[in-house]
Amino acid sequence: MTLVITDLERQWIPFEGEIEVIGPDSSILPCIGCFGCWTKTPGKCILKDAFCETGQKIGRCDRLVIVSECVYGGYSPFVKNVLDRAISYIHPYFCIRGGQMHHRPRYANAMDFQVYFYGDTTPQERETARKLAAANALNYDAKSHAVTFLEGRNPQAEASL
Amino acid sequence: MKILLINGSPKTKQSASAALLDDCKACFSRETEWRERHAARPVFSPEDAAALSWADGVVFVFPLYVDGIPSHLLSWLRQAERSGSIRPQTRIYGMVNSGFFEGEQNALALAMLKSWSRHAGAVWGQGLGIGGGGALTAIASVPLGKGPKRDLGRALGDLVRHIETGASAEERYVHVNFPRFLYIWSAQMGWRSQAKKNGLTRRDLDRRQ
Repeated sequence: MTLVITDLERQWIPFEGEIEVIGPDSSILPCIGCFGCWTKTPGKCILKDAFCETGQKIGRCDRLVIVSECVYGGYSPFVKNVLDRAISYIHPYFCIRGGQMHHRPRYANAMDFQVYFYGDTTPQERETARKLAAANALNYDAKSHAVTFLEGRNPQAEASL
Repeated sequence: MKILLINGSPKTKQSASAALLDDCKACFSRETEWRERHAARPVFSPEDAAALSWADGVVFVFPLYVDGIPSHLLSWLRQAERSGSIRPQTRIYGMVNSGFFEGEQNALALAMLKSWSRHAGAVWGQGLGIGGGGALTAIASVPLGKGPKRDLGRALGDLVRHIETGASAEERYVHVNFPRFLYIWSAQMGWRSQAKKNGLTRRDLDRRQ
């Protein structure tokens, strides 16, 4: 299953096949840093809205696609909010990966992690964005990762994600 | 020098960011005039705008979330940028802490804050990435520069000197002076004890729901 997390309206996502889209269809609560998704209801965010099961959904996908406006070299506030609320995808315990401390996986899925950024960017922001996708992929223990920058502010023109 | 401190933690108490801010305030000289705002929600208020306009230097202190800036603070920053309330020569400083041991893991969040400062028309001062943030509240009463806060004390002392003189400097990365394996062990004990308090067993931490 492909899971798409995006700040765009659904009709702008031209993916086909088995796909689930998490988009800005309803308002989202910000993460409150309580770690309840690790130590109270492990695997699920304790905040009650349409986004509390994102960690589980990531755990079921074999491809995670992020389509986001590039903001300061990172994701847009909405996409970042979804990701902040989904840290239950990983386990609270730690491991050493590439000589650095990271989290152990909770799920057995090995996913391909693909990020599509749109919007105006500077060369420095694109460098930060590339490193961000690599860092996320390492923390998610993803099988592969790729970053694509879509030209301009209107991703609708880019029909072949 | 007028310094605005922004606490970017969503927590109202017992946050590593608040502990870092306390250490930072303790380093300020008497001549430094500082104010503090808490950006705990994705809401940028007129009071926040007034505080930004007042400041010669702004220091953001926040936790690392998913390799970047927490979304509520990101939203706050975007609104702050659009408000145009920052004066052109304002210096921006950032202190980011993460639960990971290596301070370098905060580099991307600092790069994003640096990018924001450019968009907001301000000047980048310096970033400090701090590893082992999970221990900061537990060692809050340890004097800066001593024991587990030895390297943090040195780096924070230098950062405060740059803030007070309106200087810019290279990013710096430190971690708590504590062996990494012990830090990991105690962090994991912390998760277990938290789970127990919530009526769960150690095994429950592995749940996939």
